[in-house]
Amino acid sequence: MHKVIRQMSQLRLQAVPSSTLLKTTASSIPPATHHSLHTAAGAGGALCANWNKHNFGPRKWLVYNKTVHPPQQPEEEPRKAYVCHMRNNIKYSPDKMWYIAAFVRGMSVDEALKQLNFVLKKGATDVKETILEAQEMAVQRHNVEYKSNLWIAESFVGKGRVFKGMRRHARGRFGQVEYKHCHYFVRLEEGQPPQHYYQEPQTPEQQYEHWLEQMRSRKVINSL
Amino acid sequence: MEKLVSAKTCLKFVQMMPSVPQAASSGLGILAPALQNMLQMQQVRHRQTKHWKPEFKRLRKQKFVKIELPNFREKPEDISKEEMRSRMKERGVLPPRPWMERPFHISCTGGIFEPYVPPEGDGKKSIISSTGAKQKLEFLEKKSKSMLAVRKIRSYDEAFSSDQFGAEAQEIYVAAHTQMAAKDKYKIREFVSERCYPEMMHNVKDKTIHWRFLQSLEPPRVVHARCTEVITKENQFAQVTVRFHTQQMLAIYDRFGRLMHGSEILTKDVLEYVVFEKHISNEYGKWRLHDKIIPDWLPAKQPSPITYRFIEDVEEEPPKELSAGDEAKQLEASSEQPKEQLQLASAPERSSKPTLAI
Repeated sequence: MHKVIRQMSQLRLQAVPSSTLLKTTASSIPPATHHSLHTAAGAGGALCANWNKHNFGPRKWLVYNKTVHPPQQPEEEPRKAYVCHMRNNIKYSPDKMWYIAAFVRGMSVDEALKQLNFVLKKGATDVKETILEAQEMAVQRHNVEYKSNLWIAESFVGKGRVFKGMRRHARGRFGQVEYKHCHYFVRLEEGQPPQHYYQEPQTPEQQYEHWLEQMRSRKVINSL
Repeated sequence: MEKLVSAKTCLKFVQMMPSVPQAASSGLGILAPALQNMLQMQQVRHRQTKHWKPEFKRLRKQKFVKIELPNFREKPEDISKEEMRSRMKERGVLPPRPWMERPFHISCTGGIFEPYVPPEGDGKKSIISSTGAKQKLEFLEKKSKSMLAVRKIRSYDEAFSSDQFGAEAQEIYVAAHTQMAAKDKYKIREFVSERCYPEMMHNVKDKTIHWRFLQSLEPPRVVHARCTEVITKENQFAQVTVRFHTQQMLAIYDRFGRLMHGSEILTKDVLEYVVFEKHISNEYGKWRLHDKIIPDWLPAKQPSPITYRFIEDVEEEPPKELSAGDEAKQLEASSEQPKEQLQLASAPERSSKPTLAI
């Protein structure tokens, strides 16, 4: 059996150069229509090895869904369920996506879905679809009873693959264009959203107290 | 100021003739959108995205060198066969060799052959009644077959005795369930046949199971035995059904440690008919848990106390020719949310097949 496998693998190895040969011959006769300067994109596409080595994309985020928490006592408050979900390599700039991600942060799911309908940005559809998928996952796999009883606990953006292109400038100069992709991450949590997702806004009195505290607790070096 | 005045006059005009707002706005050039805003009470976007020199659009486009970007969001199932073929041709990749072999596992059988039918009410029927007599007759008939099977098992395995097998079966039963609760997928294979394994382990993922075997109320006894051959005459499998009447405790917690089913403090009496299987022609074959017989007369299981959405199958209507009025009506109808039904704990549990018959 091992012999057979080895023979087959050898055959494979022999077969590969012939195919590459074919490819080189094909590319050596340049078709008249092919006039793109960028060779890497044209030759390999998404499967090109230069783009796929050691590039697995985000891998940690979905692993949080596998955490199993220890059982609780009946008198304890039930732990809130949560689901992590993401969508990777969206053809949209992470810088632009940030606005949408930050916008839905701390909203309830229904509110976020409603609001996203009116966000006139390309990334909004991806965010909306990701949230919908996460919601479905929560109900089907993670024992969440009511699908509306969820809020967006985390929502952020990661930088994906960036392809570099060229653009022409005057006087024979050129510039670089970046074609960016982004990843969108979301975590839905069970329950009602908190009143203030970020720090609670402070009254002037509180701010004054805080400032006073700071002033009093400072250390003046080389003093009495 | 002049504009304001004109707006005022225009408003007056509109107020005077509310039936012809269209005509009013068309006659008022610049103020038209603002006026429409007032009339419709709706926001209008004025996006200034148009270039100031549209005639050089093509030249501006040519500044950028076009590159082919891969589509990462493309799913393999969305690509058509011809498309795939052309792409592979382009890259000089050979199509994958079709995988004609099928994995075939014969270290256990695929089910129960001639399954034991548990008597209704477990032998509470009187022998005098017709059904009772019928049961007894059938039982005797099957018993002779069982005797033959036991003799056959003994011809392969001399140590086998149907009296002592009950205790051995209980050990296997307890070990299998303990390993399932511990989620030990390697050790459980010694106590569970390949057919049973997915049934036991499928829904265990993401859950915490607390299971305890408290005591045996009646000594387990062999009620049924059968032998069968697979492919060749020498390849023999034996199946033995054992009746267990035990006390057990079960509590199932979800991923977040919340109780889903059962209780830690409640003990339950469990009556089960468990099938054990052994590859008897294999010298190193072991008795392993194979299946559980769930009789037809068993009352429905208590559902888990959770609210869930009941999804009805929507029948698709054939598209009809509609007039304008009908179309609007249908649009309204379609914009409504589909009727959802919330059923409170009326259907059985979401798990398709029970792993524990309790």
